[in-house]
Amino acid sequence: MKPLTPRRVLVICGLLLALLFAAVVISLRMGAYPITIPEIVTTLFNRFAGRSDQIPSEFLLVVFGLRLPRIALGIIVGAALSTAGAGFQALLRNPLADPYVLGVSSGAALGAIMSLIFTPHVAGAIQIASFVGAGVTISIVFLLGRRGGQLDAATLLLAGIITTSFLSAVIMFLMTMLSGRDLRGIAFWVMGDLQTPPVIGLKWLFFVLVIAAGCIYTTTSDLNLILTGEQEAHHLGVNVRRVKLVVYVASSILTGLAVSVSGAIGYVGLLVPHVMRMLFGTDYRLLVPTSAIGGAILIVVADTLARTVLGTTEIPVGAMTALAGAPVFIYLMRRRVR
Amino acid sequence: MRKWLILLVLATVGATCARTASAMPFAQTPAEPGRAVTDETGRHMTVPMNVRRIVSLAPNLTEIVYDLGAGDLLVGDTDFCDTPAAARSKPHVGNPQKPSLEAIVALHPDLVLATASINAPETADTLLKLGIAVYTTYPHTVRQMLDSISEIGALIGANEQGDSLKASLRARLDALQTKLADRPLAHVLFLVWATPPMSVGPNTFIADALRWAGAESVLVTHQDWPTPTFEELLRIQPDYIVLTTDHEGDTSGAAQLRADPDWKGLMAVQSNRIVTVNDRFDRPSPGLVDAIEQLAHDLHPEAFLPAVNQ
Repeated sequence: MKPLTPRRVLVICGLLLALLFAAVVISLRMGAYPITIPEIVTTLFNRFAGRSDQIPSEFLLVVFGLRLPRIALGIIVGAALSTAGAGFQALLRNPLADPYVLGVSSGAALGAIMSLIFTPHVAGAIQIASFVGAGVTISIVFLLGRRGGQLDAATLLLAGIITTSFLSAVIMFLMTMLSGRDLRGIAFWVMGDLQTPPVIGLKWLFFVLVIAAGCIYTTTSDLNLILTGEQEAHHLGVNVRRVKLVVYVASSILTGLAVSVSGAIGYVGLLVPHVMRMLFGTDYRLLVPTSAIGGAILIVVADTLARTVLGTTEIPVGAMTALAGAPVFIYLMRRRVR
Repeated sequence: MRKWLILLVLATVGATCARTASAMPFAQTPAEPGRAVTDETGRHMTVPMNVRRIVSLAPNLTEIVYDLGAGDLLVGDTDFCDTPAAARSKPHVGNPQKPSLEAIVALHPDLVLATASINAPETADTLLKLGIAVYTTYPHTVRQMLDSISEIGALIGANEQGDSLKASLRARLDALQTKLADRPLAHVLFLVWATPPMSVGPNTFIADALRWAGAESVLVTHQDWPTPTFEELLRIQPDYIVLTTDHEGDTSGAAQLRADPDWKGLMAVQSNRIVTVNDRFDRPSPGLVDAIEQLAHDLHPEAFLPAVNQ
């Protein structure tokens, strides 16, 4: 394996960012309202040059009112879920860890629904509640997943699966009880959906994303050592407890953030870090940033398909991530085996 | 330390970009004066004085627009809008629960009609944020539906049609009420769906429509769309079962119930007291009054005998 230099990180991330930009432009082009790529480029250029008055008003509505906010939300959610997935995989030293599989997404969704019921008019309460839901759930799963004082991979996964189905049942129960109130549909919380623009501003979501993902990024050299063994890392001077706490809190925040605005979109956190590992190796200093960008690309592409393949009828983006992601995953897995 | 500085810069730059990208400069330029309107869900908006392009987000609203004689103004409706037949050929914006916002914007509507009982609140919120007027109706009763009709008429410049339509529907309902005045209420199980059985709660629009037809839903519940078990239905033993035809007017629902071993346990099924009403009974639109009259005839035929009128 090639040694990891800052140059290599920058080049790979730059390439992925270019890919993300291409995905964004293509996604901006797709939709019920016909716009060509050159028109999009001129529109974007005019907008950022401060000449909004030269853009046709429908373009403003469609590009900046509908498509771009949705894409931006997709980027934030995808990056948050993938980084959280990479974080949980390191934290639990288990390649199958992912916010959705571990029940964290369901916990965050339940927190968000509780907040919708009890504190419907408090700004930011949904985000905080879903973060708390995520944190509490991962703690419970963590405790249930222990066997003889040690984290056991099989037990942990079982704990996650059981917690997920239990929480989904509670969500179903609440939604059925409270039908008629202004709660978003069960499908939103169980499958995930990006159509609804979040109440809280995108800039705040982005700010929290960068800070939380940044926290995880600062621990990546330590995570590399921890992955070889906690004892060894400890002897090499790594504060294992502190690192684990940082990754734990940051990953929960990221999951809560993503779920509170988009519902529980599954498998992004599982799929993306794995793909990135297969492509670029297991070094966390490269894995965390590439996962973040890769997650953004996956969600942007999946959501574009979700809102266009059936014309005016939308598919939940969560169904799309599983549908589009699984074959890619299987292909990469087979290729690596061979 | 340097890492953190980079992060902070990145966060700020990114957040600024995100804000520029999403901040909405949609100061709609109303070339003509509008009027401030508050809809039935309490949302505020400005509706142009002359509404020329309407998009309807629910079948009942499409029907109302046509009944107000404003079918020409309708530039878009949903995949489910099938009444009248002309509504089928209008451009569709998707299904009512999750219409394509882009398709709506592409139609340049100056008024979008929505209903809180079918459309998601987020749809109206987003469109309003984009500067498009969305009037959401929220009728809980048949009378409120009549008010919605005249309100929509006023919005789209069909005040007279709206008021006269409301008055004529009102007169028919009053006539019905007089006829049924001394008839006991029929205890019915209204089925929204037969498998699994889903009925209506007392606070729904349909429960109110049943009362106008001289019937009462047998289920006592807090839920709007209860799903009773067969055991419960066997215990309650409703006098009648009321089904609706499907969208194609298919009336085979009753035959299916009669053939079903579960349903055969109900006395109403054994003695064939199954009434099939037009599916307009589900829709808060003028056609509902036809369906109410039909149901009243089927449940209380004695009240409509010529002899009674002597």
